[in-house]
Amino acid sequence: MSIQVFGVAVSGGVAIGRAVLIASSRVDVAHYYVSEDSTLAEVRRLTDARDAVAAELSSLQRELPPDAPHELSALLDVHMMLLHDDALVVAAAAWIRERHYNAEWALSARLEVLARQFDDMEDAYLRERKADLEQVVERLLTMLETGGRGRQELSRAQARDFVGEEQLVLVAADISPADMLQFKGSVFKGFVTDVGGRTSHTAIVARSMDIPAVVGAREASRLIRQDDWVIIDGEAGIAIVNPSPIVMEEYRFRQRQVEVERARLDRLRHTPAVTLDGQRVDLLANIELPEDAATALAAGAVGVGLFRSEFLFMNRDGALPDEDEQFEAYRDAVIAMQGLPVTIRTIDVGADKPLDRMTAQELRHEHSLNPALGLRAIRWSLSEPSMFRQQLRAMLRASAHGKMRILIPMIAQAREVKLTLEALRRAKEQLDEQGRPYGVVEIGAMIEVPAAAICIEQLLPHFDFVSLGTNDLIQYTLAIDRSDESVADLYDPWHPAVLALVARTIAAARSAGRDVSVCGEMAGDPAFTELLLAMGLRSFSMHPAQIPTIKQRVLRSDIDRLSRVWPSALASADPCAAVRAWQDAATRA
Amino acid sequence: MIRSTLTISNRLGLHARASAKLTKLAGSFKSQVHLARNGRRVNAKSIMGVMMLAAGQGSELELEVEGPDEAEAARSLKALVDDKFGEGS
Repeated sequence: MSIQVFGVAVSGGVAIGRAVLIASSRVDVAHYYVSEDSTLAEVRRLTDARDAVAAELSSLQRELPPDAPHELSALLDVHMMLLHDDALVVAAAAWIRERHYNAEWALSARLEVLARQFDDMEDAYLRERKADLEQVVERLLTMLETGGRGRQELSRAQARDFVGEEQLVLVAADISPADMLQFKGSVFKGFVTDVGGRTSHTAIVARSMDIPAVVGAREASRLIRQDDWVIIDGEAGIAIVNPSPIVMEEYRFRQRQVEVERARLDRLRHTPAVTLDGQRVDLLANIELPEDAATALAAGAVGVGLFRSEFLFMNRDGALPDEDEQFEAYRDAVIAMQGLPVTIRTIDVGADKPLDRMTAQELRHEHSLNPALGLRAIRWSLSEPSMFRQQLRAMLRASAHGKMRILIPMIAQAREVKLTLEALRRAKEQLDEQGRPYGVVEIGAMIEVPAAAICIEQLLPHFDFVSLGTNDLIQYTLAIDRSDESVADLYDPWHPAVLALVARTIAAARSAGRDVSVCGEMAGDPAFTELLLAMGLRSFSMHPAQIPTIKQRVLRSDIDRLSRVWPSALASADPCAAVRAWQDAATRA
Repeated sequence: MIRSTLTISNRLGLHARASAKLTKLAGSFKSQVHLARNGRRVNAKSIMGVMMLAAGQGSELELEVEGPDEAEAARSLKALVDDKFGEGS
């Protein structure tokens, strides 16, 4: 009969295989009394096991493959310290001497006492750390049980036994990160554990190793039997045991799709985005949190074109991040991008109840006045000078760790330019006074107000680069609030006025020798790729998931030929139709 | 004997890796190092003890150092905690 076991989704993808159950040795440890005269030998057995586990952990530590996630080494270290902590082995040895427990009993009894204290903790993250202790004890028990052969031998033997068989998934009460390391590159395609949560070390390591996994599936290791067929749906956090043929087929299909998609991404990832006529195009990623940098790199982004800093400020119950916390987030993103440029936008929210549990979208609905035309973005930052300088200082400090650029949203007036540059100068002075280092930072203006696009020549001398925020530019140019359903259909990126402003901005920036990119939705929409290339755009920033699609477009484009036809498209009253006709002609040619 | 108060400010609190750093540092001094929180007093040279303090973000710990290098020990431990264990979150 097919059953489903629900757990916590921690690591995506689908794995299908036969279950291999690693029984927890703790469930069935032997309990017996040792005689008075053999307590010394029993203590010796325990300390020998400890030394053997220590040797095992150090050899794991030494043999860490270079691609192992860096958390692993730190975790092995923690396990080593727990192993040597007096509260464990020394305390268990005391019970062997005083109560004449056998080593396994003394150890598991000590574990229970310690585990109870963890269970009482209020902080969920700290409570999870009980797992580390359990894993260390598990290792000790296995060592005692195998008489010194240890876990490594055991799992190697188990893995060897299965080589050449069908694909396998691992089911266990818990798997320590160290064990997972051993399973890496082995036959196991995924795993299910009874305990754990999103923040358990096992989950963290699973994600970094990209293995489908479901944790916290409570009874899994009891419900699933050796050799059952198991589908692990790491996306949904479900393990399906002995699925029906239809379900199996469905998942095999999904698995193939994921593989095909991955292969496609992999092929494209390292392909440079160069047009048919040899022009290099930068495809950058828009991100919201430092952690997104990994996704950006995986998608083949050559930098971050837009890091929306406001996400750091949202949903915090009014407690805003201080300079250090901001600095750390910016620095993490800069470091994670491994030397590729990161463009961070200063905060883009506004109105009187700024950041408390609200998205920018909700903010717009919240107020009866028109907040899109109100105190937001740079206007808001300039009205909160000390907070603005705090953000600038945090950004500048992050620039000491890699290539970083600052982007100012919604600039439209000369006065704003002046005040912004003054704030930046002040922030630098403050850092100089504190003796804090910062790097060379380029500063850019986001062109999203029609006034800025129309007067672009006057803005350019003050900035190192500009970035077109097409979403807001369209909204302000056409006077359409896209979130208002009654007019949403009038939101038209193809409107000749919008295209004219975009073209004008790109041309002016290029002739002034300034970098220009588009970071609005237009950049990630393949329908616009050729038009933007023809207008002279060489830098596109988008959601990482869109990069492969746009890259394919770029690889097939011939800018030389496109540039000859695009002015006629722009002159048309219906540019969308004109571009489509031109694309059709291009495909036929 | 030096007593002082430490405030845990990193996001994840005194979790395993942070506890490991703290324990190692404490263990590098000759002085006796104890930490107390909510009436629980532990030896800061034992990782288990430190983890058992269950000190999440924002919690305050009483630090007690006694021995030949107590000043240096108290200073270094405070620096480590204030630096959020060098993990930046």
